[in-house]
Amino acid sequence: MFRFALKNILFYRGRSITTFALTFISTILFIVYVSMMDGSHKSMLENALKVYTGAIEIYHKDYRDIGGNEYLIEDVKAITNKLSTIKGIQAYTTRYETYGLLSSKEHSAASMLAGIEPEKEKDLSSIARALREGEFLDEDSGNCLYMGKGLVEKLKLKLGAEVSFIGSASDDSFAAEIFKLCGVFKTGSSEFDSSVSFVNRTYFDKVMYTDNKASYINIKLDDLDNVDQVNEKIINILNDESLESLTWKTLMKTMVEAMEVDSIFGYISLALFLVVIFFVIMIYGFINVSSRIKEFGVLRCIGLCRADVFSLLFYEIVILSSLAVALATPIAAYICYYYSINPIVIEGMSEMYKDYGIVSDEIPFDFNLLTISWNLGVIYLLNILSVIYPYFYINSFRPIEATRHV
Amino acid sequence: MIRLEKVNKYFYKGEPREVHALRDIDLNIEKGEFTLFSGPSGCGKTTLLNAIGALDSIDSGQIYLDDKEIGSLNEEERTRIRLEEMGFVFQAYNLVPVLTVEENIGFVMRLRGFSDEEIKQRVLEVASMLEIDNKLQTLPNALSGGQQQRVAVARAVAGKPKIILADEPTANLDSKNSKALMDMMKELNKKEEISIIFASHDDYIMENVRRVVTLNDGRIVDV
Amino acid sequence: MFKLIVKMAWKNSFLRLSRTLLVIIMIAVSMSMMLGIQGLYDGMADTMIDKNRRSGSGDVSIFAKGYRVNKDLQYRIKNADELSAEIKKIEGVKELVLRVKAEGLLSTARKSSFASMQGIDLRAEESFGDFSEFLKEGEINLEGQGALIGLELAKRLKVTIGSKLVFSTQDSSGEINSIALRIRAIMQTTNIVLDTNAIFIDAKKMHRFLGTDSSEATQIAIMTADKKTNDLLKANFSDLDVKSFLQLQPMMKQMQDVMIIFNSITFFIVMTVVFIGILGVMYVSVLDRIREFGIAMGIGMQYRYIRIQICLEALFVGFIGYLGGALLGALFLLYLRDYGLDLSAFSDALEMWGYASTIKGTIKISYFTTTFAAIISASLFSVFIPLRKIKRLNPIEVIKAEK
Repeated sequence: MFRFALKNILFYRGRSITTFALTFISTILFIVYVSMMDGSHKSMLENALKVYTGAIEIYHKDYRDIGGNEYLIEDVKAITNKLSTIKGIQAYTTRYETYGLLSSKEHSAASMLAGIEPEKEKDLSSIARALREGEFLDEDSGNCLYMGKGLVEKLKLKLGAEVSFIGSASDDSFAAEIFKLCGVFKTGSSEFDSSVSFVNRTYFDKVMYTDNKASYINIKLDDLDNVDQVNEKIINILNDESLESLTWKTLMKTMVEAMEVDSIFGYISLALFLVVIFFVIMIYGFINVSSRIKEFGVLRCIGLCRADVFSLLFYEIVILSSLAVALATPIAAYICYYYSINPIVIEGMSEMYKDYGIVSDEIPFDFNLLTISWNLGVIYLLNILSVIYPYFYINSFRPIEATRHV
Repeated sequence: MIRLEKVNKYFYKGEPREVHALRDIDLNIEKGEFTLFSGPSGCGKTTLLNAIGALDSIDSGQIYLDDKEIGSLNEEERTRIRLEEMGFVFQAYNLVPVLTVEENIGFVMRLRGFSDEEIKQRVLEVASMLEIDNKLQTLPNALSGGQQQRVAVARAVAGKPKIILADEPTANLDSKNSKALMDMMKELNKKEEISIIFASHDDYIMENVRRVVTLNDGRIVDV
Repeated sequence: MFKLIVKMAWKNSFLRLSRTLLVIIMIAVSMSMMLGIQGLYDGMADTMIDKNRRSGSGDVSIFAKGYRVNKDLQYRIKNADELSAEIKKIEGVKELVLRVKAEGLLSTARKSSFASMQGIDLRAEESFGDFSEFLKEGEINLEGQGALIGLELAKRLKVTIGSKLVFSTQDSSGEINSIALRIRAIMQTTNIVLDTNAIFIDAKKMHRFLGTDSSEATQIAIMTADKKTNDLLKANFSDLDVKSFLQLQPMMKQMQDVMIIFNSITFFIVMTVVFIGILGVMYVSVLDRIREFGIAMGIGMQYRYIRIQICLEALFVGFIGYLGGALLGALFLLYLRDYGLDLSAFSDALEMWGYASTIKGTIKISYFTTTFAAIISASLFSVFIPLRKIKRLNPIEVIKAEK
């Protein structure tokens, strides 16, 4: 049947070329489109994750939902000592975050002020690397403030300028302090850059009475793919129901969901192309079969059984799709690989879509062999499904009827 | 070898256009017989041929092939019988256009699972018997009508079936080719001891077969 | 003769019923899916643009020069009431609202966030942009301490109807001032800037809080009848910062453009594949009957009648496929327009991006007209190759030719 199928393919060239071309185009389209979609989503998530959010964060229960100083983590040192024993954790740091009003001589603006451990923070987030002017904090920074560029512009500050802070301390008492602008950062996330400032924890703890307390603990892992296993270990070791350890999948749940929605729309569009192509491949297969009804009739008469008919049609479509896929896949894979390393750059895109969390002008593709494999699986499946109707059609004729078909 | 008992076949049964194509057919065909079904158009000879060849079902009666009842088998079982026990030659040669002569002849053997060696040997044997051994690598569309029909006969014979059924095999041939084909079939009948049943109104065939079964209006009127 | 040709064309179209039906189904399914997707995407874009216009800048917004860069109260329009009276007299101006805005810190007992408070006139906003349509929860009421809050801001601060908040900012004299508010309603405008940052209070209260005069405003938002009016406003008020909706929201324009490009590419690819499908069927259909055409030409039928017949066959198939697709597509689009696509399982994500959780589609006549033109063109082009084949044949050869 295989050899017979091969001969049929070579004999009925029109149908073969059309089926080959359609499969070829749909394979490239599918692989490249999915790669672009996945790549851009991954990039958005990674960029968002890089800026400030940790792979895992430990909170007091209800801190995120209700908030307030009574839900700060107490005795942070005891927890961080336990974390040091867990394999898979590369680094961790504690942060204390509060909101207040920052004022320059003539301007005021709301800001989130975060007390951080500068040396540890360097390993964990990209805020140190986002330095644009001045210098990042260190253990001896004192009342130095490291401020987002958007906020600096709002307050019309220059390096070295004094900035006053008014807020409330961890015991809900009134807190006020004068800081000095020592450094300016720009992460690219416009919302972050226009509403966040950092100060050395050691100094800030005195102002806010937050010694050995934290809003949360931020954790970096050796391997992001092991996040669930490491989180499980953390939960077991902490063994404290008043604490919750959350992975980035929960912390960035909304963004993950947004990627899923975007993927859904992407797949809806792809589905349209694939449905149309499927129909046309089926029509060409059907035409090919219907013009050979007599031939099939004779073959059935001389002993070809239904299973053999199916094998013949199956081999024909598998050979054609395999040839098309074999040619298309390296091309598509190369395109994905090339653009994963040299992302497409759309100038001004991040500025345009800053409100939607887009921080980069680049759209990298995702080169993933597993993804490419399932893409190919779908193409094959559609091609194989396209022979089902022609198969049933040809078998709807009795052999002797088919030999007399006009 | 083939025994028919009270075989009846209807077309469009129960409808106003109902046709009683075969009426109470009783017939025995022995091994090695060369038989012709003849009669006017519409007498039922092709229908009888198809029923014996397990190509079509019957409405009542029994058909036995070597004491095995084949009239009530399902489609898959009938296909298997046709593959293993029978050979067919049609009026329009019905060769597979994409296969060479050699591949067309060996097709049934390949379906039955013979080895390449066995197929090659048998194909050569049959092709030389039918004088088409010099055309083995040719495609059907490059052959004349007579040659194509000989290929069809070769295909039918290659698998050493018990019986060959031919429906108007000479209808599309000129008299020279018809005669040549007939002579070859007689040769095959003698050499291979294959039973052959023709359905035809060709006079030359009538003169050269051992037995003529005449039908009229679905009944056997003369044997 | 023409009647006979039409009859022959009609009967021949359905000679191979399965084959013809397959093509018709292909056209119908492809077309209806394509219309549905177009309607959905256009609906998303149109809804977003419309709501952004109505909740935000309108068709044109006027600011004092320097306000958009500095976002400082000192850059407010001092004679906004006189200006608005003048603007209303201009032909083409439909509606107008004055707004005063300040950025600051919005706090509950437990959480704080950056926010932007806007003083609005509810009645004016209602005529301007059907403000009440943006209500998600609660009751629109700005009396007393009443405030309306954007959906994402409410989520961030974990507030609900009745929650108490304090807003602090620098007023017009440079002093830090605070105001206590109570949430009366949660609003979802799908204008992402408003939903994530905005809190609305009564304009008079805002002026009192900021120490500004009620004749002043940070923004005059205007709804116009046409682009001509926009240009007129720009010309008449050149000493102020006059910007159109698309200038203020270039992302919307880009979104529109991207949608058009995307829909065009989709349309082109789908129609090309549909064309290939019809071509295949027509080609084989003609080839199957080449003897018949040969005999017809042999007995004296002119080529042009054969051409008309074959064109009609292709048109019948294409047109019936179009009707099927139009019917299915229309049903699909009507459903999307009236009920929408329910993505409430992803509501958080959609709201983050400024979309409602039920995405509604739109129906435009152009969907049906362009598709009609494309399918009819595809059908007619598909017979070009088969007709060439017939034209070149000798009738005698055709009669003799084996299939």
